[in-house]
Amino acid sequence: MEFGFTTAAYVVAAVLFILSLGGLSGQESAKRAVWYGIVGMALAAFATLIGPGQGLWALSLVLIAAGGVVGYMLASKVEMTQMPELVAGMHALVGLAAVFVGFNAHFEMVLVAGMDGAAKAALDGFAALIAKKTSIELSILRVELVLGIFIGAVTFTGSVIAYGKLAGKVSSAATKLPGGHALNAGASIISLLGLLAYLNSGGMLPLVVMTIMALFIGYHLIMGIGGADMPVVVSMLNSYSGWAAAAIGFSLGNDLLIVVGALVGSSGAILSYIMCKAMNRSFVSVILGGFGGTSGPQMEVDGEQIAIEADGVGSALNDADSVVIIPGYGMAVAQAQQAVSELTNRLIAKGKTVRFAIHPVAGRLPGHMNVLLAEAKVPYDIVLEMDEINDDFPQTDVAIVIGSNDIVNPAAQDDPNSPIAGMPVLECWKSKQVFVSKRGQGTGYSGIENPLFFKENTRMFYGDAKQSLDKLLSIID
Amino acid sequence: MKIGTPKEVSSGEARVAMTPDSALALQKLGHECLVETGAGKSAGFSDTLYKEAGVTVVKTPAALWKAADIIAKVRPPNDTEAKRLTEGKALISLFYPSQNVEQMAKIADQGASVIAMDMVPRISRAQKMDALSSMANIAGYRAIIEAGNNFGRFFTGQITAAGKVPPAKVLVVGAGVAGLAAIGTATSLGAITYAFDVRPEVAEQIESMGAEFVFLDFEENQQDGAETGGYAAPSSPEFREKQLEKFRALAPDIDIVITTALIPGQDAPKLWLADMVALMKPGSVVVDLAAERGGNCDLTVPDEKIVSPNGVTVVGYTDFPSRMAAQSSTLYSTNIRHMMTDLTPEKDGQVNHNMEDDVIRGATATHQGAVTFPPPPPKVQAIAAKPKEKQKEKTRVELQAEEMASFKQQTKNQVSLLLIGGALTLGLGLIAPVSFMQHFIVFVLSVFVGFQVIWNVSHSLHTPLMAVTNAISSIIILGALMQIGSSSYLVVILAAASVFMAGINIFGGFMVTRRMLAMFQKS
Repeated sequence: MEFGFTTAAYVVAAVLFILSLGGLSGQESAKRAVWYGIVGMALAAFATLIGPGQGLWALSLVLIAAGGVVGYMLASKVEMTQMPELVAGMHALVGLAAVFVGFNAHFEMVLVAGMDGAAKAALDGFAALIAKKTSIELSILRVELVLGIFIGAVTFTGSVIAYGKLAGKVSSAATKLPGGHALNAGASIISLLGLLAYLNSGGMLPLVVMTIMALFIGYHLIMGIGGADMPVVVSMLNSYSGWAAAAIGFSLGNDLLIVVGALVGSSGAILSYIMCKAMNRSFVSVILGGFGGTSGPQMEVDGEQIAIEADGVGSALNDADSVVIIPGYGMAVAQAQQAVSELTNRLIAKGKTVRFAIHPVAGRLPGHMNVLLAEAKVPYDIVLEMDEINDDFPQTDVAIVIGSNDIVNPAAQDDPNSPIAGMPVLECWKSKQVFVSKRGQGTGYSGIENPLFFKENTRMFYGDAKQSLDKLLSIID
Repeated sequence: MKIGTPKEVSSGEARVAMTPDSALALQKLGHECLVETGAGKSAGFSDTLYKEAGVTVVKTPAALWKAADIIAKVRPPNDTEAKRLTEGKALISLFYPSQNVEQMAKIADQGASVIAMDMVPRISRAQKMDALSSMANIAGYRAIIEAGNNFGRFFTGQITAAGKVPPAKVLVVGAGVAGLAAIGTATSLGAITYAFDVRPEVAEQIESMGAEFVFLDFEENQQDGAETGGYAAPSSPEFREKQLEKFRALAPDIDIVITTALIPGQDAPKLWLADMVALMKPGSVVVDLAAERGGNCDLTVPDEKIVSPNGVTVVGYTDFPSRMAAQSSTLYSTNIRHMMTDLTPEKDGQVNHNMEDDVIRGATATHQGAVTFPPPPPKVQAIAAKPKEKQKEKTRVELQAEEMASFKQQTKNQVSLLLIGGALTLGLGLIAPVSFMQHFIVFVLSVFVGFQVIWNVSHSLHTPLMAVTNAISSIIILGALMQIGSSSYLVVILAAASVFMAGINIFGGFMVTRRMLAMFQKS
C-alpha cells in the first residue's frame, strides 16, 4: 500500500519536473514552471520519507531544514554577476552527494552479503532490495555504483575548480600538469582497472582507488580549460551531475532518480552543444582544452586604436537614431549593468531605438547577459539574439561594445588562420560607428588580437566600464 | 611674397578673390597683401575694411599687377591682364586651361606660372581648396532661391483657414555638389523633392539629403563615378532614351526643375526638352545651372530669364555665385588661402612650388616657361573603393536540390544512429537481467523527453534553466533518504551529509531561479 503510494507520487513528481523544464520556453510561463519544480521536489521527498525503509525521518527533516536555511541565505545574498560561481558550486554539492550515496550503497551491499537468510528476510528498504538480487544483478549493481561514484567524483572536483576559476580564486588560464592528456588517460585506465577489480572482489580498496582517480580527472580536466570556454564547462558539469544521479538511480532501483537524472543530463548536454556551436568549436576540443590546430600565422593587424573621451561618445549618441549595445563579461565584472540600463532609459526617452545584441557565449554562463540585464530592469523584448540582430547592423548608427571581445572579432570571418575562424560573431563593425568600452589596450580573455579595435569607424573608450558609463550618463540628459 | 587682388574686370562679376579675413590669414603665412581700390565693393568689402586688416590698397590695376608677385583673382584673365603676367609672377584663378589653350601658351612663353583653381584634383586632402565645389554649393542654393522668386506659390504644403496649399514638387537633375545643395535647400523649404543622377551610387547621398531618388529601371554596366574622378560620363543612347521617357512621365507633376548635369570637357547634355517644358503647368519654373555650357534645357538662353509659350519660366543665369557675392567671395578666398598654405609649407612667406605634390601639380597649368597641362593622373586614387562583386544568388532549383541533399543526409544519419542504438540495446538485453532492462526503458525514454523539452527553452532563459536543473538534480536526496535508516553508523553519517548538501541545493537552486525569473519583465 505504502509502496504503491510512493510510486504514484514519483510519477506525479516526474511529470511535474518535465513540465517545469518545458515551461522555460517563455519568460512568463517560466515563473509558473518553477513552482512545478518546487512542488515536484516536495512531493518526491515527502513520498520517500513516508516510504518503505525510512527511519530517522525526524533527523532527515532537521537536516533538510538546515540545508534549506543555508541554501536560502546563499541564494538571497548572491549577486547576479556571481551566478556562474554559485551554479558551479552547487554542482559540486550534487557530485559529492552522489559519491556519498554510492559509497553507502556499497556498504549496504557488504552488510547484506554478510547476513544469513533469516536476517535478510527481516530487512526492508534498500537493503531488502539488495538481498533479493541474484549474482548477475549484483555485478550490474556494482557497475552502476562505480559509474555513479566516478561521475559524481569528476563532477565534484571539476565543479570546485570551475568555481575557483569563475570566482577568480584559481588562475583562469588553461594550465596542465606535465604529461597533459596522458595523465588523464592514465587515470582513466586505472579507474577502469579499479572497476574490474571491484567487480571481481567487491572489496573497498579498488573503489577508493577509482574514486581518487576520478577526483584527479575532474581537477585536471577543468584546470586545462581556459576561462573563455567556461560556459561550456559549466553546462557540461551540469550534465554530469544529472548522469551521476541517473547512475545512482539505477543502483538504487529508483525510477524517479533515473528520470530526473536523465532530464538534467540531457539538458546539460544540449546546452553544451549550443555553446560549442556558438563558438564553432567541437565539444572534444573544448574538453581537451586549448584551441584546435590552426594552419598558419594569424593575419597582421595594422592601424592604431583611436581613443575617445566620454563627450565624444555622448555627442555621437545624441545624434544617433538607432543604438545597439553589445554587453560582455566586462560589463559583469565592472557591475555596469545598472549604468547600462540607465543609459538605455535615457536614450529611449529621447526617442531613439535602443536594442541589445547578445551573443550565445557572452559572459561565463549560458544566458548570463540576459540575467544581468533583467536584473537591471532592461525590458527583455529589446534584448535580441545574434541571429535576430546581425542583419540590422548596417542600419545602426552607433554600436556600443561593453566589455566583450571575441564575440565581436571580425577575424572570425576574415582570417582563416585565426583561432576563432568560423565562429559566428556579432557584426557590429558594419554599423556607422562603434564604441568599445574596454579597460585598456591588449587582448581579451582568449588572447586573440581583435581587428575591430583598429577599424576606421571604431573608437576606443578606455576605462572601467561602470565609471565610463557614469561619465557618459552625466553628458546625456 | 606679395599677393595682390585686382578688381574683377568682366562685367557683372561681383566676387573678389581676397577678403579682409583671408588677408589676415595670408599675412600669418608671412605674405604681404595688396588689393586694388574698390575690388571688394560689390561683395560688400570696403577699402577701409581691407586697410584695417593690414592690406595695402593700390590705386590702379597697373600698379597692382606690377607690385604683386602672386595675383589672386576669380575669373580667367583677359588679354590685357595676361600680358601683365611677366616672368616670375604667378596667377591663381579659375582658368579653364582646356578652353584657354592659346592664352596659356602665351603666358607660359612670358615665364609666368598659372595655378588653375578649377583644376584642383578631387581627392580628400584637396577638398579645402576645391573652388568648383564651393561655387557649385552656392549655385545650387541660389538656384532654388531664384526658382522660388519666380514661382508663384509656397514650397511647403499648408492647410490654412484660407484653404489648402499643396506642396511644391521639385526635381533636381544631376546630384553633384550643386544638385545636392539644391536638394537640401528645397527640402528645408518644405518642397517634395525628387532627384536623378546617372551614377546609381549617389542614391544614398540623395536620400541622405531628404530627396527621393528617381530610380531608372535599366540594366547596363552602370557608371561607376569613382573611376571618372567623381564626375559623370556620357551615357549610352538607350540609357538616354529611357531617362528622357522617365522625365516626360514626371514633367506634368513637377513645379520646379533644377538641372545641373555637366560632363567634364563637353557641352551640357540636353535633358529637359522643349516637349517636357510644354507638358509642365503654367507658372512652373526651370532653372538651368548648365546654361554657361549651352544648358540642359532646350529653351535655355544663357544669362537670361525667358517665359515659354505655356507660361513656364526658364532661368538661364550663369552667374549664380556672383549673385551671392559676399558668400561666394568668403568661400573662394578661403579656397585660395588654403592653396597658399600648401604653397608655403614653412609659413615663412616663401613659395615652394612643389611639383611632386599631387594637388599643386594637378592645378598648375604653366610653370617655369612650360605648359604643364594636362597633369598626370594623381597618385592617390579618387574617392570610393570599387564595389565588391556580388555573389551569385542561387536559383530555386539549386536551393531545392540542396535541401533534398541535406534531407537525405539527415535521414541517413538518423537511420544509422537508430540502427546502432537499437543493436546496442538488443545486445545489452541479451546479457542484462529483466530488472535492469525495466529501469533502462525509463532511462532511455527520459533522455528522449529531456532532449525534446530542452530544445524549446528560449535562449535568454539558459541561466535559469541551469539553476532549475541544478536544483532538481538534488533529487539525489531520495537515495540518501532511503539509506539514512541503515543500521550502519558510517552509512547514516554519509547519508545525513548527503541530505544536508542536497537540502542546500534544493532551496538555493529554486530560490535563485525565482529571483532571476522575477527580474525578467516586458517593457
